Amino acid sequence: MTDMMADEMIDTLSEYDTPICDTLAETVKKSLRTSDTIGIDRCMQCGACTASCPAARFTDYNPRKIIKRVMENDISVIEDESIWNCFYCYTCHLRCPRNNSPTQVVQVVRQMAINKGIGLDKLEVLFEYGDAFAELGVSKIPDLYVGQMEDDFDMRWHEFKNNLDSVRSELGLGTVGVKDTGRGEIRAILAGIGFFDRQEKMKQMAEAELNTSDEKGGITNETN
Amino acid sequence: MKQIENIPDRGILLFKSCLVSVEYPGIESSTTYAFDKLGVDYLVSDEQSCCTGLGYYFDLFDQMSTTAVAARNFAVARKNGYTNITTMCSTCYAINKETCALLNSNEEVRSNVNTVFENAELDDLTYKQNSLDEVDNFYHVVEILLSKTQNIGKLNTIDFSDVHVATHHACHYYKVQYDDMIGNPNHPLLIDTIAKSCGADVVEWYEDKTLTCGAGFSQRHINRKTSLEVTHAKLESLKNAGVELVIHMCPNCQIQYDRYQPVIEKEFETKYDFVHMNIAQFVALALGADPGKVCGFQIHSVPLDKFLNRIGISV
Repeated sequence: MTDMMADEMIDTLSEYDTPICDTLAETVKKSLRTSDTIGIDRCMQCGACTASCPAARFTDYNPRKIIKRVMENDISVIEDESIWNCFYCYTCHLRCPRNNSPTQVVQVVRQMAINKGIGLDKLEVLFEYGDAFAELGVSKIPDLYVGQMEDDFDMRWHEFKNNLDSVRSELGLGTVGVKDTGRGEIRAILAGIGFFDRQEKMKQMAEAELNTSDEKGGITNETN
Repeated sequence: MKQIENIPDRGILLFKSCLVSVEYPGIESSTTYAFDKLGVDYLVSDEQSCCTGLGYYFDLFDQMSTTAVAARNFAVARKNGYTNITTMCSTCYAINKETCALLNSNEEVRSNVNTVFENAELDDLTYKQNSLDEVDNFYHVVEILLSKTQNIGKLNTIDFSDVHVATHHACHYYKVQYDDMIGNPNHPLLIDTIAKSCGADVVEWYEDKTLTCGAGFSQRHINRKTSLEVTHAKLESLKNAGVELVIHMCPNCQIQYDRYQPVIEKEFETKYDFVHMNIAQFVALALGADPGKVCGFQIHSVPLDKFLNRIGISV
C-alpha cells in the first residue's frame, strides 16, 4: 500500500464497516457488512454477477468490473458514480459460483465513499430517519421521498395516508410505534453504540461539501 | 436447508414491519386472521421496534447500530417466551437472521452491544451467545403458511380453479441466506405451493421470475428511472405469462407493483390486466376473511373489485 493511500484511508466513520487495512480487499473481508467466508479472492471474473444484475441490464453499472477494481486495489472505485446503482437485491450474491458477493462489496465501497464525503448528497435527505427511529422505534420514509410518492401515487393512496389511524383501527390494529419505555431504550442504545455521533459527523461533512460547492458556484444536489 | 416438517406453529413472535404498518396494514390483519384460523400460537408486541433494514440498505445505518437494535428485539422475544421470530417483510427476515448470526459468532460484537446495554442500565437486554439460533428461530410468514397447506386447502372457501396466478418471491428472503430457505433458490415455489393448495391455476415459471421488483431501496428515489425500468420489465414478463393475479410476500415489493403499476402504465404507455396481493391476504381471503375489514384491499392502488366479483366475492 502506498503512503498516499494510507493517508486517504485514515478516516473511517465506522471501524467495523470500513476497517483500515492495507488493501481494499482486506477491508472488504474484515468489514462486518460482509460474510466471514466472502470469496472475493476466489473471483474468476466469470461475469455471472453482471449477467444477472438488474442494474447492469439498464445502466453502466458492472459488478464484475467493480470486483476487479477492488481486487486490483484501485481506490478510485469509490468515486465511480455507478456504485450508487446497485439494488441490493443479492442476485449476484446468489449466482456467484465462488461464494463472492458483489452486493456486499459494493455496500463497503459505498461506506468508504461516504468516509470521503462522496455520495452525501444522496444521504443527507436520510438524516431525519435516524432521529425518527429514535423517537418512535419505527422506520420512516424520508420526507423528500414521501414527496416523490405523493407526486407519483393516486388518490387512493392519498386518502389512505390521510386516514391511516382510522384505516388501521378498522382493521383491528393499534397505533404505529413502540411503547413509550421502549423509545427511551432505543434512544439510549443508539447513543451508546455511537449512531448519533456518526450521523453528526456525516451531517458536518455534508455541510462542508455544500459550502465548498457554493464557493465554487456549483450544485451538489444531483437528484434524478 | 430448512425442512417444512420443522417449521414451528407455537411461540411465534409476529415481527411488525414499518412498511406493512404504514403502507399495507391489511397484510398484518390478514396474517393474524389466517394464524387464528389455522391455530398458530403467536404474539404481537408493542415493545418490538423496527429492524432498521431500510436505514441499513439506504447506507445510513452501520452494522453495529443495526445489531444493537436487533439484540434488543431478541430480548423482547425471549422475555415474552415467543422466540420464533416470524416476519412479514423479507428485509426484516434477512436483517434479523444476519444480526443473530453475527451476535452468536463474533465475541467483540456481542461484547460491544452488551456493554452498551449495561451502561444504559438495560442489563435485562444482554445477549447471551446462542440464546437464539439464526437458523431455528427465524421465519417468514410464508413458511408458516406453507407448513399449513393441508389445512388451508381444507378450509378454503373460494373456487380459484380458473384464476391464472404468478408469484414473486422476495429477494431478501431467498437470495441473502440462500442456503437456508425452503426449496431451490433458483426456482422458489413457496407461494406457488400455497396458491395451488387452494386450487389456483399457477404458472410456476415465467421469464423474469427471479428478477427483483425494482424497489432497490434508495434506487426507487435516487434512480427512479432505472427502478421503473426494472419494474416495467417484470410487469411485461407477467403480462406475457397471461396472468390475472400476482401474489408476493414483502411490503416493499407490493409498493413497487401495486402503487407503481398505474405509474408505469402512464409513463410507458401500456396497460396491465392483473391485480396484486400478499400471500397472507390471499390465504385470509381463501379462509373467508372480509376483503375490506380484514384484507384491506380498498387501499390498494390497483383496484381489486372487478377481480373479487369475478371469483364470487361481493365487495
